[in-house]
Amino acid sequence: MNYFYTKYIVVEKLIEEFHQMDLSKDEQHHLALLVDSSLHHAILDEILSNLSGQDKKLFLKFLKDDPENEKLMDFLKDKVEGVEEKIKKAADDLVKEMHQDMKKAKEK
Amino acid sequence: MKFTSKRPHFEYLKNKWTARHKSLQNKLWDKHKISLIGGLLLLTVPNPIALPISQPIHAKDDILAGFDENAVLAKKLQDDLPKEVRSLNPDEEENLLQTLSGYFGFEVTGAIEGIKLNRNFGLIGGEQHLYRYPGDNVYAHAENTMDWAKYGSAGIASGLGAWGYFSPSKQEFTDIDKMREKYYLAIQTFLAPGFAENVAKYRDFFKYRKILVINPKTGQAVVAVVGDAGPAEWTGKHLGGSPEVMDALGLAMGPRKGPVLYFFIDDKENKISLGPK
Repeated sequence: MNYFYTKYIVVEKLIEEFHQMDLSKDEQHHLALLVDSSLHHAILDEILSNLSGQDKKLFLKFLKDDPENEKLMDFLKDKVEGVEEKIKKAADDLVKEMHQDMKKAKEK
Repeated sequence: MKFTSKRPHFEYLKNKWTARHKSLQNKLWDKHKISLIGGLLLLTVPNPIALPISQPIHAKDDILAGFDENAVLAKKLQDDLPKEVRSLNPDEEENLLQTLSGYFGFEVTGAIEGIKLNRNFGLIGGEQHLYRYPGDNVYAHAENTMDWAKYGSAGIASGLGAWGYFSPSKQEFTDIDKMREKYYLAIQTFLAPGFAENVAKYRDFFKYRKILVINPKTGQAVVAVVGDAGPAEWTGKHLGGSPEVMDALGLAMGPRKGPVLYFFIDDKENKISLGPK
């Protein structure tokens, strides 16, 4: 599933590593779901940490109604300075950690 | 005795990432006073209660997406379609066009500007991804890792599509280009009546022409564009679908092949979006 922030997330490095691993289709799906869901949680945390109580509720309502709608980013830009960079950084940091995990996994 | 998994690299990642996921989940819920926003957040996180799990997750819900709501259409199509996969006669075609236009709410047609497809009922087969711009690679096609898990194994064709790259460069690559490759069809344009006498005209006409494809067994449907020419007649298949098209039609598993209906969409104002319907 795509979200309004999908275009800010770069997972190519992880996918390249996945490609080189011997994984069954079920294992691929399982790990992919963990990656996407972890990124989603990390990004939501970053966004919610920068919103007030009322804006949190509004944001979550908009997200629930139409998670792909790019207008969500317009809403956030009005409320949080540099929100795009904050989302990118939250995602990049997690992708880097997961990339390191994958390198270690290949040594097992 | 110490237990050793047959796939230690998978077990290592599964354990490490499940623990991290749980930690991220708890942090989110604790920090943002979940009691205030309650179930709203539950609905915004993917699979909030299923992780961690001991068995791999099967994302089969996507394969069946749209099945129930399209069951009425499937029943109607199965009543109206011939049992064998063959070209439709004019009466059958007209009847189906009326059914489909009424059901989808846009004009589905067998001919535009006097140009017709060689057939409208045929066997679709799964195609590979296509290069979208110079320097593109299969990893870049996935917008998230689940995309890769679902569509990555289809690979990428060694040659370009019939109209070359979708964009001249990565810098000029747009969301429209992305969607065209995502939902592309290979159509036997070279077998369209009149092609040999009007090659240049037909080449321009077919480029990114919108087509509605329906799996008559399930009613699952997708709007796609003509992005390549093929398959060759000797393959026994009549058209090809991108990995995402096959998924939308419920034909991504097993032999990646099956009978489909396919017609032009008359969308002069370009209002009909690509993707599952």
